[in-house]
Amino acid sequence: MISNKSIIWKAVLMILMTFVIIAGITFPIVPSPKVWYEFPIIPGLEQKAKIIFFHVPTAWLSVLAFLMAMISGIKYLRHKDIDDDSKSAAALQIGMMFTILATITGSIWAKFTWGSFWHWDARETSIFILLLIYGSLLALRSAIENEDKRARLSAVYSIIAFLTVPFFIFIMPRIMVGLHPGSLELDPNTGKVIQGSNPVIDFKMNANMRIVFFTSLIAYTILYVWMYQLRYKTIIIKDKLSKKIIRGKNWKVD
Amino acid sequence: MEGGLINFLETNSIYIVMFIVLVVWLGIFLFMLNTDKRLKEIEKELEHSGSATKEN
Repeated sequence: MISNKSIIWKAVLMILMTFVIIAGITFPIVPSPKVWYEFPIIPGLEQKAKIIFFHVPTAWLSVLAFLMAMISGIKYLRHKDIDDDSKSAAALQIGMMFTILATITGSIWAKFTWGSFWHWDARETSIFILLLIYGSLLALRSAIENEDKRARLSAVYSIIAFLTVPFFIFIMPRIMVGLHPGSLELDPNTGKVIQGSNPVIDFKMNANMRIVFFTSLIAYTILYVWMYQLRYKTIIIKDKLSKKIIRGKNWKVD
Repeated sequence: MEGGLINFLETNSIYIVMFIVLVVWLGIFLFMLNTDKRLKEIEKELEHSGSATKEN
């Protein structure tokens, strides 16, 4: 039986995500917003500013997933429960998928904002390194057949790997000169740090945009939890089957 | 009524994009709902056949 709690969460997700799609795509951009559903014009971005409602939450989910992978890794090291490794693996796979999605969506946006798909901007470089780090972890996992060894190595790797995440996602792109919103700006003549000359880099959301943005973050987070549960269950079932725990003759999957 | 909606969509094409994304979202949502249901059934069957094996 499906619990009422689970139905409520799914209904909340449906409503929030539908709102984010409608608001994020169609709410008008005007010079000076007067009502709650109007967004301000950001010179150089205009309609392209709306990517923030869809691109940033994907990046947020990759951080959340890698954090959950680390927490499950720590739990595994403490209790040696193989279920924690399955949880960690589920989070890692979803985290990797959202990191790839953040890279692709950012790259498409960059083509139309900066002129080409890839610039080796600080933000792009940092997500590329994260892809390499977590790609190596997934490769490592698939290369080890011994379950306990794989779980132990993966747990230690996911803890060490996550230590780099705050640096690559939150710190490095903000302390380096770049093109991405939130980067440092330098005066081309004096070489000194300046602010306010580039509206794309200085881009800050107004209150109306924040409503849609934070709704989007909540909706994406619920989506993550749901995807995580599905993936985790799949791993557990696959694991049970491969161990041949089930010997029922009548058991079958349609 | 229908003609009016089509005329509106032709002049405000961003709403076409919105409808397309909404359809995609609905598809993904229903797919996940279905996968969730199927997984629950498989889990139940696994538990059931697991306990049946133990009893034997």
